[in-house]
Amino acid sequence: MINSAAIRVGNGTPVFNVKIDVNNLKISIKDVCSRMSNGTQSLDAHFYEIINEIFAHLSEKCRIRAGYVICPADFNLTSNRKSKVGNIHFNMGKIVTSQLKNAVQMAVFACTIGPDMENWSRHSMEQDNPAESYLIDRTASVLTEKAVDYLHEYIGGEMAKQNLLITNRYSPGYCDWPVSDQHLLFSLFPHNFCGIRLNASALMHPIKSVSGVIGIGPDVEFKEYMCNRCRIKECTYRRKHVKNTNTIIRGIAL
Amino acid sequence: MSELIKQIAYCIERGKVNKMSPFPNDMKEQPGTDELTKQAIEEGIGPDVILEACNDGMQKVGDKFGRNEVFVPELLMAAKAMNAVMEHLKPFFAAGNLKVKGKFVLGTVAGDLHDIGKNLVSMVVEGNGWQVIDLGVDVKTEKFISAVKENPGCAVGLSALLTTTMANMEKTVSAIREECPSVKIIVGGAPVTMNSAKRMGADGYSPDPQGAVTFLNQSVSIG
Ligand code: B12
Repeated sequence: MINSAAIRVGNGTPVFNVKIDVNNLKISIKDVCSRMSNGTQSLDAHFYEIINEIFAHLSEKCRIRAGYVICPADFNLTSNRKSKVGNIHFNMGKIVTSQLKNAVQMAVFACTIGPDMENWSRHSMEQDNPAESYLIDRTASVLTEKAVDYLHEYIGGEMAKQNLLITNRYSPGYCDWPVSDQHLLFSLFPHNFCGIRLNASALMHPIKSVSGVIGIGPDVEFKEYMCNRCRIKECTYRRKHVKNTNTIIRGIAL
Repeated sequence: MSELIKQIAYCIERGKVNKMSPFPNDMKEQPGTDELTKQAIEEGIGPDVILEACNDGMQKVGDKFGRNEVFVPELLMAAKAMNAVMEHLKPFFAAGNLKVKGKFVLGTVAGDLHDIGKNLVSMVVEGNGWQVIDLGVDVKTEKFISAVKENPGCAVGLSALLTTTMANMEKTVSAIREECPSVKIIVGGAPVTMNSAKRMGADGYSPDPQGAVTFLNQSVSIG
């Protein structure tokens, strides 16, 4: 069934690279510190100093690369919940498929902030500065998610020009879409797309990278993430988020 | 407990490393674990007494973390304060006067590279007197098994952050069980729950690092 050789971007499928400057992401101390306190107490001044110091180096340490390809999409819901994007069959699982099913096209995207922040964080840990290392890592994670937000909005804007709507974004690893499908997803990109490599377990390097799909079409809806339909009934993500709302934390909302 | 020993425990709990350290704000200019441990050794206080004080401080901060009274950066500063003590105690470990409580092989399972939670577990467990063998992230079952074989009597901790990698966690638990039936295994990570841990056949589960310490102290024979 899986025919990953049939479609090759570069041979007709347009590849879009999106330029993202770290200064446009407007990261704030609040972004980095959310969930790092119980709301009644603020963090020690020392940590704010460290974060400011980290912020001063972002232009030099973050090399954001982002891009996407647009592929025709086809959802054949009877065939084992496998969705066809381009000529590739993804095993997205019930939940993700249901969110995307009205899409006629799919933006398949990848985004990374490069390896420098993770190397810096590792180095800081080796120097016995675990708190600094954590704050670098945390800043890097927030920036990765903000860069993807930017890319998502950019794609939305481009589609709006053609009177098309977009869905929320979904990544291998979310809900029950296996991470191993990342190999299929990357087969839609040109070689070394955004400088991201996959390892044998289908994980991306640089680590601060996100990949995924966004549905496109005249009838698609942007829906918040849902936990209440997942089959892993007692997962902590679910317990944390289903109680009050039907939305699951999105990306970096620690 | 002597005043000095109490102070060492308190500095660990608060993450006060040395006099130079600006953290925490209300303890600026005060000596930290570095100076106090040096002083304690000079005064002839036994290294075992110092180590016990450390475990006490680490336990307190670990419990506070579990109750959401302190957060990741504070816990990491406590770990750093603990490391400063360990630097002074190294010679006693080398001479055999001090022994670790046991060994704990830890890693994030195959297919997963989330490591912040695992690193916290590693630091807190280490701070409580255990030797941690951290295998890193995306760790294949075979690697866990060889580490267990190389470290007889160790316990194992597995971390997973993706719901999809919980399946790998289960496979790793059964494979370790099959090869080394007596080894105690604890699992954790946000999507893991007590029920899923039981279903996987793990011996323990904890939503936070301090729970891993309690599990180790209770279920692994100290030798
Ligand atoms: C930070 C983060 C990242 C960072 C990773 C940084 C790092 N060095 O680990 C980045 C941005 C790189 C990332 C990437 C991805 N991520 Co991510 N990530 C997160 C996030 C926001 C926080 C995780 C975290 O660090 N928590 C803080 C620590 C302290 O908590 P913890 O890990 O739970 O650990 C505590 C306990 O669980 C326990 N514990 C942990 N381990 C153990 C072990 C034992 C033995 C014990 C006793 C206890 C224990 O103790 C810890 C301290 O209390 C979560 C969302 C969330 N809110 O959890 C998503 C999340 C885990 N990621 C997710 C996904 C899918 C991914 C990707 C696979 C997505 C993709 N396809 O691009 C990628 C993979 C990237 C790659 N390179 O291949 C999903 C998983 C969904 C799911 N249900 O499975 C989440 C939930 C986001 C979401 N909204 O859906 N991610």
